[in-house]
Amino acid sequence: MELYKYLPQTNCKKCGKPTCMSFALELLQGKVKISDCTPLIEEVKYKEKYEALKELLGGEGGKEKQLHIEIDEDLCDGCGICVTACPVNARYCPPTLSGKAPDVPHDKHQLFEVKDGKCVLLNLEHCRRLEAGGRERECRVCEIYCPREAIEIIYI
Amino acid sequence: MAMERIPCTGCSLLCDDVLIGTDGIFIDKIYGACLKGKERFNQPIAENRLTSPMIRKNGKLENVSWDVALEKIKQILANSSRPLLYGFSTSSCEAQLKGIKLAKKINGFIDSNSIICQGKVLNVAKEIGMTLTTLAEVINKTDLIILWGSNAAASIPRLLNKILFSRGKFRMTGREIKTIIIIDPVKTASFGVMQLRDVALHIEHGKDLELIRVLKEECCKKDSVLEKSVAGIDKEELNRLLLNLVGAENGVIFVGQGILRTHSDDNIIKELLELVQLINSRQEKGRMSLALLGGHYNMIGFEQVALSITGKNHSLQFSDNNLIETKDTIINKIEKDDFDCSIIVGTDPISHFPFSLSKNMASKPIICIDNRKSATSDIADVILPSAITGIECEGLAYRFDHVPMQLKKVLDPPSGIPTDEEVLNQIIQKLDVS
Ligand code: SF4
Ligand code: SF4
Ligand code: SF4
Ligand code: SF4
Repeated sequence: MELYKYLPQTNCKKCGKPTCMSFALELLQGKVKISDCTPLIEEVKYKEKYEALKELLGGEGGKEKQLHIEIDEDLCDGCGICVTACPVNARYCPPTLSGKAPDVPHDKHQLFEVKDGKCVLLNLEHCRRLEAGGRERECRVCEIYCPREAIEIIYI
Repeated sequence: MAMERIPCTGCSLLCDDVLIGTDGIFIDKIYGACLKGKERFNQPIAENRLTSPMIRKNGKLENVSWDVALEKIKQILANSSRPLLYGFSTSSCEAQLKGIKLAKKINGFIDSNSIICQGKVLNVAKEIGMTLTTLAEVINKTDLIILWGSNAAASIPRLLNKILFSRGKFRMTGREIKTIIIIDPVKTASFGVMQLRDVALHIEHGKDLELIRVLKEECCKKDSVLEKSVAGIDKEELNRLLLNLVGAENGVIFVGQGILRTHSDDNIIKELLELVQLINSRQEKGRMSLALLGGHYNMIGFEQVALSITGKNHSLQFSDNNLIETKDTIINKIEKDDFDCSIIVGTDPISHFPFSLSKNMASKPIICIDNRKSATSDIADVILPSAITGIECEGLAYRFDHVPMQLKKVLDPPSGIPTDEEVLNQIIQKLDVS
């Protein structure tokens, strides 16, 4: 588990959780904030880890910064890989299973569609990075697979 | 109005899942098509659209009536004894049939774009056979995809989406279960989809044959391990390639232009087909197959049409209205200057061919039948505009995997503009009246 590496790993229980591991799990699910782990913030020796963790989660537990998925229109050529690969699309748009274009009008959960030869982001709120729990919350499938590197997941 | 799923004719993938909406005048909604496909769907109203017959008078192209243009064509053909017909890869099979009929009538030499593309592979396949596969089978079964000398991400934008990321019947996990190997001297956009498990092979330019020979030798041995690098690829990568080749249940090698261009002789193709046969002879569960990637959407169609009516898949020479034996191709016909006029249908050889060939071509009268302006139409002596197949008229086309697809008509062509088939028919009829 990626996040655990960045915690103090002392199991001091100051956060109210029995172990650092369980804290990490809840952090992933967005149930707790990084700042709930007081040693991490207060003790200087953890400063590096704290910064790294903030970077990883995009702000304090993802609470202050907001998820954005940016698509570079100039780079995108409408190959539709993101449409097919995004697990949320796969679940709600059956045609994407065999690489086909999803139906129009789109499903209310659908994240991407290709319109006029360019990819369009539809319902960011259903992205796994916001809705799912556990490992699924770390989804970066669209960003990793886009062959044009047109997709960027950022927190602003 | 309701959206309709129709095949896109932007490239040889002929995606049949593109959704379009139209108000009857132009296509105003396009979903699912890539950028290349979108441009194709916008072609009816594109600026470079040809809308009137034209002939060259005093060095300038002028709009004329159909009759005047046809009369001019008749004149050119009357003075010609060795006409060339070339193109037909963006026309329907029906038009291709008419093209061959015209060639027969005027004792011409007819060839399609496949001659500078996958035609070579099909020639060799006629002798030693070839294992083909279909797109549906790739989606449902394939666990190994090899792109050899093809930058699919640029030439067929949705190919990787369909073959690599789709989740088929027996490959429900999709991308996770499929391995992709790309063999290419340059790092193309296609490399962007690779993961750790995949293999990127930067082969040295023109060394494909060397690699195929080594693979042929090694894949017959049990537990073969290569000890040295070949064709600029280091041995670890090579062993991964070998392991994948012999270990895959259902592998597909996508043959691109890169491998066809580097060697003008047919040896490389012969050896590649033999490699696939060798692998298959050892296969216990599945098989290795080939898929040919072309550019123009109905290149395979011409091969099929020509094969079915003449027994030869391209480079047809007619004399006394009969097919005669020839080893010539359009390329060496032009090189040898063995022609006296050319009829170009739906393609742009002036910009595709090397300069020396274009120069020869330009020195003789050119009759151009197309829906858009090109370097070829710019220097043509007669231009006949035609409807856009797959948008303004129906027709049959063969997808890259040799599966026939029915193209649809969604718009009317601009008034008075006939289909490729009708244009060719008009020329045939014009020649009939004396
Ligand atoms: S407060 Fe921090 S160090 Fe203490 S148990 Fe919780 S996560 Fe671990
Ligand atoms: S991060 Fe995952 S769930 Fe979110 S849009 Fe990308 S692929 Fe879909
Ligand atoms: S994967 Fe990238 S290039 Fe392809 S449609 Fe999506 S954003 Fe565009
Ligand atoms: S991949 Fe080819 S057939 Fe498919 S939408 Fe793009 S241009 Fe059209």
